[in-house]
Amino acid sequence: MKKTIIYILLFAFIFSACEKDDICLLPTTPKLVLRFYDNTSQTTVKKVERLSIWADGKDIISNYKSVTLDSVAIPLNVNTSQTIYHLKTNSVNGNIANNATSTITINYTTAEEYVSRSCGFKTIFNNVTITSNNGWIQSFTPTSLTTINNQTSAHVKIFH
Amino acid sequence: MLKYFISFCLVITTISNFAQEKESKDSISIKNTYGFRLGIDISKPIMGMIDSNSSGLEFVADYRISKNWYIAAELGTQKEITVEDYTNSTSNGSFYKIGFNYNAYENWLDMNNEIFVGFRYATSSFEQTLNSYTSNTGSDYFSGNTLSTPITTKGLNAHWTEFVMGIKVETFKNLFLGFSFSYKIMLSLKQPTNFKTLYVPGFNRVFETETGFGFNYTVSYTIPFISK
Repeated sequence: MKKTIIYILLFAFIFSACEKDDICLLPTTPKLVLRFYDNTSQTTVKKVERLSIWADGKDIISNYKSVTLDSVAIPLNVNTSQTIYHLKTNSVNGNIANNATSTITINYTTAEEYVSRSCGFKTIFNNVTITSNNGWIQSFTPTSLTTINNQTSAHVKIFH
Repeated sequence: MLKYFISFCLVITTISNFAQEKESKDSISIKNTYGFRLGIDISKPIMGMIDSNSSGLEFVADYRISKNWYIAAELGTQKEITVEDYTNSTSNGSFYKIGFNYNAYENWLDMNNEIFVGFRYATSSFEQTLNSYTSNTGSDYFSGNTLSTPITTKGLNAHWTEFVMGIKVETFKNLFLGFSFSYKIMLSLKQPTNFKTLYVPGFNRVFETETGFGFNYTVSYTIPFISK
């Protein structure tokens, strides 16, 4: 009987020590998804060559450092109501002289939504407006979005 | 609410029917103590000393109604700070539980030990405060937005059922040491807006499936009424 009690107590202590077993698997704060299309044939996806992306005053995003891609997902700053991104491409060769840079400015309001215990709160973006200084980006659509609350599909089509 | 009350009354009636059954008399008559047993859960003050995020108090009581059946109840308060990766919240409130225990242990002579199984209906009223949170940006390029103004939601409540298994050992005359383990299933839980109840006093951590676990270590004393 005494042995049984000791075993049960031991078991209870082991059991009580196991917590924090869950990891966040749900989608959290959405990123802005840009998809690049050919300006002459606007339904055809066209890759951007040697693309580098960085936010104003920050380092280049490590995943987007001289890469050739047809779509990118970039985070928006949740602490401010504006994020400015610089997109640099070089469609000729690696020479600095051939670099072309465009700037896009995204304005928005933020709201926080609870997700789950392990994921915490995510931020969603409302009343989103997008402007560009053009450069290598010839046009884009849409220029405003009511909300960005997921990143399952592209938010903005960019023609170049 | 009424539904549970009715089923509880049904259960009590069944128990009292059991109590009416005559037990076969042996040639040597052994007297068992029947009475009101009152105790305290010692795990809660101990946890409070070890873990500064937890503080609580729980009283336990039971009343023996027949050879193997007891009406059992627990009453307590609990304040718990839940620290997660992105949120920090406090639950604070009181709870009570009522139900029965069945002693499945066949005692020798006048021994009074128990290996029991039981069932409880329990309810808690509490408040939850979201102390602070950092929004989950999903990337480390920009930092998350941190809120540190606490948001309190008062008037939250929960109702649940518990299945209990445990032991009680009579160490001195009428003094019992006990351990029990409980598995809890939530019936209804009021959630705060744009947040979630992560911890309910008495229920403990609320898992994704709205189930919970608990254990307690009790020291209790029987106030003997009658011996039969």
